[in-house]
Amino acid sequence: MRLLPRSLSGRLLATAAVTIAIALAFAAAAIGHVLERFVMSGLDDRLDAQIAIVSRAVGPDGTLDATKVIDLPPFDQAGSGWAWEVVGPAGTLRSASLKGVDLPLPSDDGPPWHRDRDRVRERPHPLEGTDASGLRIHYRIARLPTLRGDALVLAAGPRTIVDRPIRAAMLPLLLSVLLLGGFLALALVVQLRIGLRPLAKLRDRVAEVRTGRVRHITVDEPTELLPLVAELNALIDANEAAVARARGHVANLAHGLKTPLATLKLDLAEGDGRLREQVERMERQIRHHLGRARAAEPGAAAARVELTPHLNDLVAAMARIHADRDITPLVDLAPTLKVRCDAQDLDEMLGNLLDNAWRHARTRVRISARAADRMARIDIADDGPGMTPAQIAEITRGHRLDERGEGHGFGLAISRELAELHGGTLELGVSAAGGLSVVLRLPGGEA
Amino acid sequence: MRVLLVEDDAALAESIARALRAESFAVDVADNGEDGGHLGATEAYDVAVLDLGLPRRDGLSVLAEWRSGGRTLPVLILTARDAWSDKVLGFKAGADDYLVKPFRVEELVMRLRALVRRAAGHAASVIQCGPLAFEAQTGQFQLDGMPLKLTAFEWRVLSCLMLRKDAVVERLDLLERVYEGDADVDSNSLEVIIGRLRRKIGASLIETVRGLGYRLTAAPA
Repeated sequence: MRLLPRSLSGRLLATAAVTIAIALAFAAAAIGHVLERFVMSGLDDRLDAQIAIVSRAVGPDGTLDATKVIDLPPFDQAGSGWAWEVVGPAGTLRSASLKGVDLPLPSDDGPPWHRDRDRVRERPHPLEGTDASGLRIHYRIARLPTLRGDALVLAAGPRTIVDRPIRAAMLPLLLSVLLLGGFLALALVVQLRIGLRPLAKLRDRVAEVRTGRVRHITVDEPTELLPLVAELNALIDANEAAVARARGHVANLAHGLKTPLATLKLDLAEGDGRLREQVERMERQIRHHLGRARAAEPGAAAARVELTPHLNDLVAAMARIHADRDITPLVDLAPTLKVRCDAQDLDEMLGNLLDNAWRHARTRVRISARAADRMARIDIADDGPGMTPAQIAEITRGHRLDERGEGHGFGLAISRELAELHGGTLELGVSAAGGLSVVLRLPGGEA
Repeated sequence: MRVLLVEDDAALAESIARALRAESFAVDVADNGEDGGHLGATEAYDVAVLDLGLPRRDGLSVLAEWRSGGRTLPVLILTARDAWSDKVLGFKAGADDYLVKPFRVEELVMRLRALVRRAAGHAASVIQCGPLAFEAQTGQFQLDGMPLKLTAFEWRVLSCLMLRKDAVVERLDLLERVYEGDADVDSNSLEVIIGRLRRKIGASLIETVRGLGYRLTAAPA
C-alpha cells in the first residue's frame, strides 16, 4: 500500500492534515486539562477554607470542640455531596450532611487513610471517591498535629461542581478547535494553490514552446524553479541545435547531390531515355526530402512574420522568372498583416502557389490578403484553365498530378503540407475568372 | 553571344560549356568567385551564369558588386539552393533569372537567349530585319522564311548585329562578343566572317560604317 499519494498537492495536503490534526488534538487535550485544573482549584479553595474553619475545632491538646464549628449550608444538607469530618485522637466531628456516618473514603490501595496517617500530609491535598449514594466526590484532606497525636481534617464536595463547568466549556472549546482546524485546512488549500501555481504556469510556458508561440521559457520566479527553467531552456537550445544540424546535413547532402546530378543529366541529354528517367526520379526524391527536411518542425522559432514584404518580394521574383509571360499581378494586401510561421516556410508556400498561378494564368493573377477569424487569409487566383473538381480532389487527397513536378500538383501538394504543418489550411477552387483559386489560411492576423 | 559561366564544379562546368558551345555560344568559364567577379566586371559578356556556392567568394556578393559597380549584364543564377527564400535573395541581389540544379540544358539555353534578347530591349521573341528573321527562343535565323545554316562564329556575329539592328556595333565590341577569352583574336578574321555572312544573307543588309564598325539594317543607306 502506498502511504503517500501520487500528486504533489496530495502529499502536502496529507502530511499537513495529519500534523494539523495531531497538533489540534494535543492543544484540545492541553486546554481541557488546564481548564479542569482551573475549575478544580476553585473547588479546592472552597474545601480548603472549610478545612481551615473546621480545624479551629481541634484544640492544641487534640480535643475537639464542636461549638467552634458552625455547620453552614451546603455542608448541612444530606445527599448534597458536601461534607466535612475531623478525626481527632479523642473523637470525631462530622458535618450535619453526614448524619453520623463516616465519610466513605477511597481505600483502593493500601489500608484506609484514617488507619495510616503517615500517608497524609499536613497541607491539604486531594483525593477522589464516591459517597454512600454513589455520587462522585472530591476530597481534600490535611493532617493537623496535636499534642496527643495527629488529627485528620477532611472536606468533600460533589464532583459535578467541577464536571459541569468543564462539560459546559468543552463544547465551545471543541468547536473552536474544529474551527481552527477548518481555517488551517483552508489556509493549507490556498497555500497549495498559490504555491503550486508556478508549476501550472511553467507547464503552460513549456506548451507554448512546444506549439511554437515562443522559443524559450521566460519565468523569473519562484527562485526554486529557476534552475529547472534554465535546464529546460538549455535542453530546448540543444534540441534546436541538433535539429538545425540534422537539417543542415540533409540540405548539404541534397545540395551536394544536385551538382553531380545536374552534370549527369546534361551528359544524358541526348542519351538513353531510361537513364534519364532514373535521374529524374533521383531528382524528385531529393527535392521531396529536401523540402521535408527544410520544413521547420512545428514550433521551431515560429515568430510572427510580416506578410507584405514576403509577398511583394515573391511577386517581384515571379515577374523576373516569368518575364516572357505578360502577366499582370493585381495585389491587394492588408499592410499590417502578420502570420505565425517560419519565414522560409512562408516563402516556400507562397512561392509555390504564386509560381503555379504565374505558370497557368493567361493575363492576370489576383493576390489578396486580409485577416479573417484570427487567421490570415491569402487568396491567389489566376485566369488560366483551372482544374477540374476531380483534379482538385486528387490534390486534396495528397496526390501529385504531375509526377515531373512542374505542373500544378507538385507545388500545391508541398504548400498544403507546409500549411497544415503550421496549423493552417489550403483550399482549392475555381476563381471568378475561371482559373484556379487558392485560399491559404495561416495562423495570424492584423498586428 | 558570349557567356560567362562561373561554376566551381569542373565536371558540370565542362558539360554546360559543351552544351552552350553546341548552341553556338562563346563561353568563358571561371571556377571561383574571385576570377568570375573580375571577369564579369572587366570583360564584355551578353549574359552570365552564376553559381552561388563558390570558393573564395560567394556568388551573391559577386553579383551585388557587379550591380553596385554599374554592370547591367543579365545574370542567371544557377544553383542547388532551391528554396524560394534563396531565390528572393538572388533577385534582390540583382539576378535576372534563377535556375535550380539539376536542370535541363534546353531550359538553360532558352532562358539565356531570352535574357539576352530582353536585355537588348526586344519584348517579342522574333526579331525581324527585312527578309531576315531571328527566332530568339530557338536561336534560328530564317531568310525569306527558309532556315539559314550558320557556323558558330557567323551565328555569334549575326545574332549580335541582329539584337542591335539599325545601330552601329563597334568592331571591338563585336570581337569581344565573338571570341572566347583565351582565343587568339585575329581582327582580320572578323572581315572574313562578315564577308561570308554577306554572301549568305545578301550584301546590302550588313553595312560597314567606316572607322566605327558594322550595322545591320533593312533600310537602304
